[in-house]
Amino acid sequence: MEFTREIYWNVGQGFTTLGPMYFLVLVTLSVFVYGFIRRWRVYRLGQPLNRTDHRGARLKSMLSHVLLQTKVLRVQGPGTMHALFFWSFFILFLGTILIVLQADFTDLFFDVVFLKGNFYKFFSLTLDLAGLVALCMVAGLMIRRYLLRPPGLITGRDDLIMHLLLLTILITGFLIEGARMAVTELGTPLAIWSPVGLVVAKALSGLGEEALRTLHVLIWWLHLVLALVFIALIPFTKLRHIFTTSANSFFADRGPTGKLTSINLEDETTEKFGANELDDLRWKDIFDADACTLCKRCQDRCPAYATGKPLSPMQLVTQIGATAFSNPGANLIDVTSRDVLWACTTCRACEDICPASIEHVDKIIAMRRNLVLMEGEFPGEEVMTAMEQTEVNGNPLGMGYASRGDWAESLGVKTLAEDSAVDILYFVGCYASFDKRNIAVARSFIALCQAAGLRVGILGKEEKCCGEPMRKMGNEYLYQTLAMDMIETIKGYGVSQIVTTCPHCFNTLNKDYRDFDFDIKVEHHTVFLDRLIKDGTLRINRDVFSCTYHDSCYLGRHNEIYEAPRNLIQTAGGRLTEMEKNRDQGFCCSAGGGRIMAEENIGERINVKRVQMAGATGAPQLLANCPFCLTMFEDGVKGAEIEESLRPRDIAEVLAERLVVQDTPGS
Amino acid sequence: MNILICIKQVPDMESKFKVNAQGNWYDRADLAWRMNEYDEYAVEQAVRLKEQVGEADLTVLCVGPDQVKETMKKALAMGCDRGVHIADNDSCMREPFAIATMIADFARDKQFDIIFTGMQSQDRGSAQVGVMIAELLNISAVTTIVEFAYDNGTISVKRELEGGSKALVTVTAPVVLTCQLGLNTPRYPTLPNIMKAKKKEMLTIAAATDEQGRQETAAFYFPQRKGGGLVLEGDPPELADKLIQLLKEKTGALA
Repeated sequence: MEFTREIYWNVGQGFTTLGPMYFLVLVTLSVFVYGFIRRWRVYRLGQPLNRTDHRGARLKSMLSHVLLQTKVLRVQGPGTMHALFFWSFFILFLGTILIVLQADFTDLFFDVVFLKGNFYKFFSLTLDLAGLVALCMVAGLMIRRYLLRPPGLITGRDDLIMHLLLLTILITGFLIEGARMAVTELGTPLAIWSPVGLVVAKALSGLGEEALRTLHVLIWWLHLVLALVFIALIPFTKLRHIFTTSANSFFADRGPTGKLTSINLEDETTEKFGANELDDLRWKDIFDADACTLCKRCQDRCPAYATGKPLSPMQLVTQIGATAFSNPGANLIDVTSRDVLWACTTCRACEDICPASIEHVDKIIAMRRNLVLMEGEFPGEEVMTAMEQTEVNGNPLGMGYASRGDWAESLGVKTLAEDSAVDILYFVGCYASFDKRNIAVARSFIALCQAAGLRVGILGKEEKCCGEPMRKMGNEYLYQTLAMDMIETIKGYGVSQIVTTCPHCFNTLNKDYRDFDFDIKVEHHTVFLDRLIKDGTLRINRDVFSCTYHDSCYLGRHNEIYEAPRNLIQTAGGRLTEMEKNRDQGFCCSAGGGRIMAEENIGERINVKRVQMAGATGAPQLLANCPFCLTMFEDGVKGAEIEESLRPRDIAEVLAERLVVQDTPGS
Repeated sequence: MNILICIKQVPDMESKFKVNAQGNWYDRADLAWRMNEYDEYAVEQAVRLKEQVGEADLTVLCVGPDQVKETMKKALAMGCDRGVHIADNDSCMREPFAIATMIADFARDKQFDIIFTGMQSQDRGSAQVGVMIAELLNISAVTTIVEFAYDNGTISVKRELEGGSKALVTVTAPVVLTCQLGLNTPRYPTLPNIMKAKKKEMLTIAAATDEQGRQETAAFYFPQRKGGGLVLEGDPPELADKLIQLLKEKTGALA
């Protein structure tokens, strides 16, 4: 006996079946294409942006994100269910393709039948089980959405349509199979190769052949129509994510991670900066809205959302989409609202987790640029003051520029103006230059470099803010003014390496400045010190202590530096108790995105929330790698009233305490 | 409407000040420079007035060395239409009357309706230039204004008086108004306006420097450090007695 089955059993393969069927398919595909053309016209309202370079690499990452569901699987539970559903539904889709291929093509024209024998058994079993898995996953996802109702999950009309369609398509599929098997396969050795179908067949077998055949043909057409409705609805419902989210993986920003686009300020014909209308955004920003599946992963991780601020990255993207497709003339800033735009700390928790490759931060910065550069607006007067202070004194703290290098007096550190023959230029940054708490970090770093026998130079009063907080707040003009100034100054001294103790300075010099012909090697102090210890240049005593460690957003998510700081902690003897939110899931300290300059006056305080997470580990020390974080934590432990039990410190301070005292010759 | 705004470039007050070699003013090295705070209110009020009336020409004037043009650019970016720079490398040592004379000489035939300026400079703090300009031009002056309204030729301003009381003064042009903290919040220049400011007219005229000063600064010095705080010790009742004693002897708090 040849294992196979008759395709179009009971419905027939004549014109009365194929005619209406292919007519419906054609109508469906026309609706599908029409739907996407209409959306494509809206995408094209955005500014041009090349996202089709490096096609091989883009294709590879798309295949990984789509076929392997790598990004979806980063969140267990719903992510796992989605991946299992995707794989099983994809198998069903491939199975359907094989059937169409054989029935309407190879068999019809060439008498070639490949769905037979062992391959048919494998085919039958695989599809049968895939159907079961898909059904279970849809059911599971429905239970989650409609019964468990996770907070923040938005459920709308599209979700109901999608879930019911999928559920009925799968159920009708099994009913067709069961009815056919009840008539043709029950009692044959083939039946066990469709175990789920067999259960259905047995249940239906009492109806008798006549009724089964009627039932079969009706459900066959119902199943077909449901499947076609599914396809036709793709462009008009959230089902579009099958294509848009996949395509967005191809169009994803290829980095450097989190780097903003520099505005060409030399172009005197530009009259508008930033975005307050839809067509100021890039096409990808509009497409992003169509790729969003409202999975709320961004919202779940957003530190602003978590502390009662009005920002939800997901809502922001939805609002841009709604504007694009139903009210394209609206003022985007009014639609999204100023408080939303100012709340972002640019921590990238949203972008990092987003399974749809959406770039939330760029949109926020584009709108902030419009507010700052076109309206002179800031989140508060204190931010405007900080901007003005930076214009005058080169730092947002308003300290006199000439005293910038005072902290290093008596440390034996020379400015490059005094002596430019140095091993490294230490780009100190504003906080380590002026803020008492962070000066202690700078002094520790100098002690470590000196112990390693390195000649360290600083710029002293020639150093200015790298421009990072101003840039992230939307003040591209001030940022570029500072950047040009710093680049010219640093390049003038011909240094070969720069080290920073601030991840914001590091990120800015190492990524943003590259737009302006700046190619000097830049390292963050944790990476630099880790290397010095590894190559034996720097010797540290191991002295056991307990701590927890905070991954700053700009060292972590923006630069994926997670191990170097942990290596240093371990070398120093640190027993590290991780907070629940660590590494790429780290929770911002509140000071990124220029928020270091702003009052936080909506909702709870982010820094208090973060130090409470640190306090929950029971560790007596909270180690940081960033002056902004350290400042926020020093403030946060007071706010949380745990300053007695939790001491925030920079890793460099812990290392400096453990320096091996050099043997003095002759002693 | 023809409006003049007189501004001064001053060091940022956070700067590290040193006494100059002559011992009569601060040393200009290592200072960051900015627009005198009170003059910023003057610029802002002039720009707001122009926005209100539509037709107005704003001339910003500054006396000083070449570097003051940087500060003038900010005024132009905030919305002034043209700049007049009276070039004078020694302006920081001139008495208020000499500065006022230079400005009045420039303004005399220009028919300015309103002259806005700060109520004083943050560095010299004489608070005389504005009123002297008015006197030299023989027009009225209202000082330390904290509110300004213009309605159909009538200017109404509130002046800040001692003890927190205020006076409402109405006046007609021409007038000199000196601006006080609280009048407004100066705007942050927008980028298109910063770009436009670079192309605005900036006229430099030489200062007439033949005038001999009537007053001169004899010495410039930092005040001597007074004694530090006082730490009282003892148990609470004793401490309370000591504190009451001190308050009675050294302050009028209990009077």
